Amino acid sequence: MKAPMKAPFNTGSRLHDVLSVFFGTFAAGVLITSPLNVDTSGPDPFYKGPLIFPIMALSLMVLAALPATGRLLRPPAGAAWHLDGEGRPVKTFFILVFLVAHLFGLRLVGLEASSLLFLMGGFYYLNYRRPVHLLLIPILLTGIMTLVFKHFLQVWFPTPWLMEWFEG
Amino acid sequence: MGEHVIQGIQAALTLSNLGALVAGTFVGIVVGILPGVGPMVGMVVLLPFTFAFSPDVALSLLLGVFCGGYFGGAVPAILMRTPGVPSSLITSFDGFPLTQKGEAQTALSAALLGSFGGGIISVVILIFLAPVLAHVAASFGPPEYFSAGLLGVVLVVMAYRKQLARGLLLLGLGLWFSTVGIDGTTLSARFTFGVWSMQNGLDLVAICLGLFGIGQTLLLVERTILQATTMNLTRSTLDFSKLRSAMRHWKTLGVSGVIGTFVGLLPGTGSILASFLSYETAKRTSRHPETFGRGAPEGCMAAEAGNNAVPAGAMIPLLTLGIPGEALSAVLLGVFTINGIYPGPLLLIKEPVLINTLYFSMILINVAAFVMLALWLRPFAMIVRVPTALLSVSIMVISLTGIYAVNTRLFDAGVAVVMGVLGYILLRMRWPVVNLVMGVVLGEILENRLRQSLSLGDGSPMIFLTRPISLGLILAAGLIIVIPLVVDRRRKAKAETPWP
Repeated sequence: MKAPMKAPFNTGSRLHDVLSVFFGTFAAGVLITSPLNVDTSGPDPFYKGPLIFPIMALSLMVLAALPATGRLLRPPAGAAWHLDGEGRPVKTFFILVFLVAHLFGLRLVGLEASSLLFLMGGFYYLNYRRPVHLLLIPILLTGIMTLVFKHFLQVWFPTPWLMEWFEG
Repeated sequence: MGEHVIQGIQAALTLSNLGALVAGTFVGIVVGILPGVGPMVGMVVLLPFTFAFSPDVALSLLLGVFCGGYFGGAVPAILMRTPGVPSSLITSFDGFPLTQKGEAQTALSAALLGSFGGGIISVVILIFLAPVLAHVAASFGPPEYFSAGLLGVVLVVMAYRKQLARGLLLLGLGLWFSTVGIDGTTLSARFTFGVWSMQNGLDLVAICLGLFGIGQTLLLVERTILQATTMNLTRSTLDFSKLRSAMRHWKTLGVSGVIGTFVGLLPGTGSILASFLSYETAKRTSRHPETFGRGAPEGCMAAEAGNNAVPAGAMIPLLTLGIPGEALSAVLLGVFTINGIYPGPLLLIKEPVLINTLYFSMILINVAAFVMLALWLRPFAMIVRVPTALLSVSIMVISLTGIYAVNTRLFDAGVAVVMGVLGYILLRMRWPVVNLVMGVVLGEILENRLRQSLSLGDGSPMIFLTRPISLGLILAAGLIIVIPLVVDRRRKAKAETPWP
């Protein structure tokens, strides 16, 4: 079996610099507004207070992002946007959407229905459409999870909103 | 002392502990065999389940995954040249050529014996070295702890020095994450942005589960990993007659086990370096170095002994200083602290039974992993045929439900999803995610020790330089920064010098 040829991973991709600048800008924003986001009204001096360490962490981020900022503003010769040959993460994006829906589903329809729907939807989308994939595995996995989390670990799950609406 | 050892052995042999370590080892072998999954994903997925157990049982479960993962990683590396865990790449150098010659059983025997021997040697070193280090660490005050933590951070950052700026960015982000929520010392709210749920901070389990459990599996959705259609195994179990011939390389086994333990002891170095150094040492000291890379069983044994010695080696700084050396032991630190146990020099005195249970459990885990793989070699090898996309979706749903189960808060599950996206981006862009985890784990330790130290010094940072141990650790950190940078620069200059 021969793997398809892919473009190599580009360690110098400008996308790395974009991500670094994103983190750096975020850190700078949080650093500037930190006196507003940290309650410093206590009697402790600065070195004992709650602000010293976050300032150090955020400053480290800002400093570490500076070289990437420079490269982003003045790209070196031959700089490219290409990252790898794996294409756009379309499948990942839709699975992520399903995952977020599952998160809300936990509250809306409960653990069992939400897990079952997520697994069936995910397998269907990823082209695993045989009955064993589409029915057997989701039912088995949901059953095991319900047994382990609800009965063995006795984890409390909130009453699904849908059930609350039906019961008035 | 002897009484604690007997109590520890008794606790390790209880049904619940044995069940946990066997289950953990089984899961570890499975995730180790599956390329792209690995022991980290296994550990974080099982993490929420550990809250129902006592600390010794919980640790046995996760240590089983940790060690089992390295055992399992060798199987696809030898049979398919697809390492299950990154460090098994070195095992494939000689393992796959042996498989091509029809001697897969010879390679697997050497690798399994290497894993087993390396694991046992490292536990023995842990048993003898931990009390010595704990004795030294007993004289530590806040400045020494801060400096030791700083040294750990520097080692981790420098391990990825080719991505120094990115590593520092992620370390800073991790350190900042650790400050979100109510400050334990002053009870001030920090970076909660008016969100009530943020007051509890960002849960370490949610961060780890998101980055590795969800992030890694999101990556697997896109990637098709080469899957073998044939297995070059002559029988379904290990050929035990090959073990005797592998035993001839006992010196290599011993040396590799020691190298792996000491590499594991250093924060940030990781199992790949352990495997590589063990392999290179075995090659240099071998009577037949020319066979290495062409199918030398000794090479398989050295690489596996080296990487399987790492878990016990990584436990040494964790147990004695409370400083995890890498992401996997950071997860173990989480299990300790959630159960109200704080690793450090006093742990060996305060919890002698737990420590002895841990030591004996680690020996049993190595035995269990060896026996399981030796008896069910073919069934385990067949696991690589499970489609990764199916597995990814299943791991995601278990991870998300698991993270909710820890604190019964949907907010934590939301944090895990956000971290999953971040993890996907960072893993795809090959940034050193381990720096982020180390930042989150070490953040609280570093911050508390820094503030305590500055209080002792009335706000003066000179306190770190006036105490000999602290000064020594800071100087060591400085050397670790300077020496590799100088060496790299010289190497670069040498490479750029034109030929005369």
